[in-house]
Amino acid sequence: MLLEIENLSGGYGGEDVVKGITCRADAGEVLCLVGPNGCGKTTLFRLILGFLTVSGGSVRIGGVRAETLRPGELAKRIAYIPQYHTPVFSYTALEVVMMGRASHFSALQSPGRTDREAAFTALEKLNAVHLANQKYTALSGGQRQMVMIARAVCQEARILIMDEPGASLDYANQQLLLNMVTELAGDGYCVVMSTHSPEHPAAVAGKVLLMRGGRTAAFGRAEEVIVPELLEKVYGIEMDVLTLRDRYGVQRTICLPVKKKG
Amino acid sequence: MGTIYVREEAKIRKRYFVTMLAMFLGLACGVVVSFGIGYFPLSPLEVAEAFLSRFGYQGNVRPQAVTIFWNIRLPRILSAALIGASLPVAGAAYQGMFRNPLVSPDILGVSSGASLGAALAILNGCGSMLVQAWAFAGGAAAVALAYLISRRSAHEQTVSLVLTGSMIMALCNAGVTAVKYISDPDDVLQQITFWLMGSLTKTDMESLGWAWLPMAVGLGVIFLLRWQLNLMTLSEEEAQSLGAPVRLYRLVFIAASTLLSAASVCLGGLIGWVGLMIPHMCRALVGPDYRRLIPACAMLGAAYLVAMDDIARSILSMELPLGVVTCIVGAPFFVSLIIKQRGR
Repeated sequence: MLLEIENLSGGYGGEDVVKGITCRADAGEVLCLVGPNGCGKTTLFRLILGFLTVSGGSVRIGGVRAETLRPGELAKRIAYIPQYHTPVFSYTALEVVMMGRASHFSALQSPGRTDREAAFTALEKLNAVHLANQKYTALSGGQRQMVMIARAVCQEARILIMDEPGASLDYANQQLLLNMVTELAGDGYCVVMSTHSPEHPAAVAGKVLLMRGGRTAAFGRAEEVIVPELLEKVYGIEMDVLTLRDRYGVQRTICLPVKKKG
Repeated sequence: MGTIYVREEAKIRKRYFVTMLAMFLGLACGVVVSFGIGYFPLSPLEVAEAFLSRFGYQGNVRPQAVTIFWNIRLPRILSAALIGASLPVAGAAYQGMFRNPLVSPDILGVSSGASLGAALAILNGCGSMLVQAWAFAGGAAAVALAYLISRRSAHEQTVSLVLTGSMIMALCNAGVTAVKYISDPDDVLQQITFWLMGSLTKTDMESLGWAWLPMAVGLGVIFLLRWQLNLMTLSEEEAQSLGAPVRLYRLVFIAASTLLSAASVCLGGLIGWVGLMIPHMCRALVGPDYRRLIPACAMLGAAYLVAMDDIARSILSMELPLGVVTCIVGAPFFVSLIIKQRGR
């Protein structure tokens, strides 16, 4: 198992925001964190990435406890794709992607030939080679997201953590992003993403950790967890979950908030 | 990998080398001109003769020319070049670390601390070497204090550093004012004012003899670690997720920058704006990647300050303080920068 989270608790200033979360995800899987604002999704990420100190439980990466790893070692195992990103200085996309190579050479070195090739390969994978020499600051939200994912890919970590990757993207780019997430899982990455849309887990055929108040409301496959009773418990509104076939015969899941008339 | 990108990259690299070469030639010209101009002008021939006289040349060169070349102008030019290289490198490092292009090297109070140290030493009647030592210690102590206090704050480290830095700066400035107020206006006050003014008139080989060391260490450390500064322009968490030991790097870069700024103040007093505007000009010339930015900052900064010192020496019949010249040039630049940023 690539990522094992065991009864994990932690938060800010001695106060636990995440309380006793247990879940796991393996290579080739997508784990979606779903839940209302303030349910602890981001805090959970910060605990996994070692930005916050764990107050109880453990995070294991490939069987190794995460807190025993130095930043450089952790970076070779987990890559973080932050939410939205406006750098102060106008680096080119290639320069941004190459920062993902930081853990692959010593502090006194700069990225070399292999690092440049890895960066280009990553950009190719994301269909973004044409952006290589463009200013990152001038790219659209969707393009920036692809560059950020390319940076994570050339970091060569097996676990990718995405903090609400769809949040600032338009409709079409959200779909492209979900396709890319599915593709990455197909390549053997373990993708952990938080999302505000309960439809996303089914779209990427992933597992779901449904959270509420820092605790696990449910954990399992999308079709087990994304059901009206559980969603209503977590979000506090009435919901229907419909499954239907699209024009190509693929089964799809749609979540609808509903309201009784009168 | 598309050949078009390889070609474009080769173009960028070529442009970098051409830019560096142009800056180097500018610096070389500035240095040669610097030997000639000043209160006691030397002709190009005299400059060459004075230079060669050390190496066994037996021409009829005036003895004053030799003294001026070796004892007055050489230390002055070396100081200008060293300070000019140091301040922009420290400034570029801080601008990256604080993720703000409007940051200057004294944001953590190094100049104010050095001023207080110097003022106290002058008040106590210390000699010039001791004054410099106190200035250096004062600058380092101010930054160390700002750093240590910031670690106790609950804010993100860069934010708390800026806050504690401005607090230390205010405190030191108050101290300098207090020292000035109680000192004798006919003697000590004048000395303090002139010491702080930002001028290279008092530089000599003796102070250069020690000041080059902290500068070399600071420049060397930042030069060797310069690519990592790119990571420091990201948020702390992002940089850490890429594998950078962010807090360690921050401490190293602050220490190295402090060596640069404190030694610069000891040599030349308060010379403003150089550390802020040169990194900007270099970003426009060679791009934001610190791998190229740091060498460019050192080269352009050295050329710029040597040229500014020439202006300070020659524009009026009497010499203008260098700090005044750099401010007169720097302030309009800053305004244009703010206006340009608003447009972005």
